[in-house]
Amino acid sequence: MDILPQAISDAVLLAGLYTLMAVGLSLGFGVLRIINFAQGEMIMLGAYGAFWLFTLLGVDPLISLPVLVIAGFALGWVIFSGFIAKVLDAPHINQILLTFGLGLAIQHIAIILWTGNARSTQPAYATSSSLIGDVLVVHGRLVAFAVAVVMVVALIAWLRWSETGLATRAVAENRGAATLMGIDTRKIYALSFGVSCALSAATGVVVSFILTITPFVGFPMLVKAIAIVILGGLGSITGTVIGAVVLAFGETFASYYIPDGSGWAEGIAFVLIIGILILSPRGIRGQAVETQ
Amino acid sequence: MMGVRTASASVWALGLALALLIPLFGTPMMIDVAFRICSLVALAVSWNLMASAGLISLGHSAFFGLGAYAAILTANLAGAPFWLTLVVSLASGALLGSGIALITGRMRGIYFAITTLAMSEGLRVIAVMLPDLTGGAKGAYLASKSFPGATYINFAMGAVAVGTCLIAWALSRSRYHFAFRAMRANEHASQMLGIYPLKYRVAITAISGSLASLAGGVEVWHGGYLDPALAFDLHITITSQIAPILGGLYTLSGPVLGAIATILLGDATRISLGHIQGASLLVFGMVLVVCVLYLPQGIRGGLSDFFRRRSANAAPSGVSTRPADVARP
Repeated sequence: MDILPQAISDAVLLAGLYTLMAVGLSLGFGVLRIINFAQGEMIMLGAYGAFWLFTLLGVDPLISLPVLVIAGFALGWVIFSGFIAKVLDAPHINQILLTFGLGLAIQHIAIILWTGNARSTQPAYATSSSLIGDVLVVHGRLVAFAVAVVMVVALIAWLRWSETGLATRAVAENRGAATLMGIDTRKIYALSFGVSCALSAATGVVVSFILTITPFVGFPMLVKAIAIVILGGLGSITGTVIGAVVLAFGETFASYYIPDGSGWAEGIAFVLIIGILILSPRGIRGQAVETQ
Repeated sequence: MMGVRTASASVWALGLALALLIPLFGTPMMIDVAFRICSLVALAVSWNLMASAGLISLGHSAFFGLGAYAAILTANLAGAPFWLTLVVSLASGALLGSGIALITGRMRGIYFAITTLAMSEGLRVIAVMLPDLTGGAKGAYLASKSFPGATYINFAMGAVAVGTCLIAWALSRSRYHFAFRAMRANEHASQMLGIYPLKYRVAITAISGSLASLAGGVEVWHGGYLDPALAFDLHITITSQIAPILGGLYTLSGPVLGAIATILLGDATRISLGHIQGASLLVFGMVLVVCVLYLPQGIRGGLSDFFRRRSANAAPSGVSTRPADVARP
């Protein structure tokens, strides 16, 4: 049996998840020019939210999704006003260390509250699957892909057609000019940080039924998301999709075709980061980050 | 001011002299604490050297782990003696450091942080995936015929800590210090002044990386065992950035004070909250956040503020001014 169709199908479904995972980071970085090193912890919190709603109240992750997206947005808004807003104009070192410290604290609060045990939600579709031709499709992955498409399309629609979305793009493009146009940049910052956390919470909900979750689940995802964002270039959703496709195909094909590949696949994000920095620091699309 | 300087120099000299007695006469617990402080001093000073040139490392465990693997591999595969494995550690860290500086090129700041973060993860994957060479996830034991003895190794770590501080001191006296400050403040403006940033950046990452790797090399001889999770432990990354921030960024004594405080804080939380898994890293995370927001000059800044206020009270006419050298991160 040829495994190529199976590999392609797996990679496409994974690319959906990766796009959702990276698009929040991309938005936050594109608008605030701050990499949120606590973004992985937002994914983790979303996953635990889904887990507890499922385990304690029996709520299907897809039903808790909108609730957790709103909760993620609120938490993002709070984190922005409480912490991020204080370092907006501070040197990079403060911004990097602050978000890194926040992530560390959130991660270990989660360990204290919920232990380090691996968990997952088990709705019926998480494990059921169908055979289409030679290709086995796990329904959970299909649902994850659908959620990712809906969220990303909603994000694009918001950025393109709503007034706040247009203002967000204006701030991302040129903060000074946006301020002169009467846009409240601080509000836009809070809004996009909140949306970026909401997208990560949604990623977490999806992750809860296709992978196992622990409090440490966020950090490797952050590294992958960063690889995708700098591969795609900043401030470009198309670029993020391309980056996600490249990483998903790279990882999936490595685990299918290389002996011991699933172990090596974990290093592909790292290879991409180094490769892009050497070859094309601007990424495939999008603008360069400041060279300062 | 001279009085304060001589006083603080003699405090440091006395502390060092007392510390030298620990490996010979200390209890095992004291020796253990002193060893870990020395290891962290080396890492923290090394981290601070990079930070002082505007390069933020989020993966200092990459240097530490690479140095540790370099030492254990040369000892086990080539049968190299103690000091020779350390030379290899040193060289590996210098290579990795200058490599990262060259790769990130003109893009410092965020990209440097990302690359070091990714480097640590990447090296861990490599160490896991090459079991024939590294022992893989199961780890490897140091199998050297020429073990120099525990006291010797304790002194070696002490020497690494002192040597690291001396190098940082020498750099602070050289033109490098001024070049770094200029680069940190504004790299474009520093180029106008005739500073070629890449040269300085490669030099500082090579020096700083080699010192962190050296600490890793000595640590392997101390522990006698290495696995990827131990070598590229996030804990190393975190403590080596918390120590300088807690002590005082961009200063000489800050990372040393911070290393002592970090080890003691870590041990105190482990003793008092040890039954709660993850408590010590939660405390470290909160320290990081609080320091960035409220204590940007760390313990050292707090101390010198305190002494300045006291001397200002003693001489009411004196106007308390901040010395220009106190760095603001």
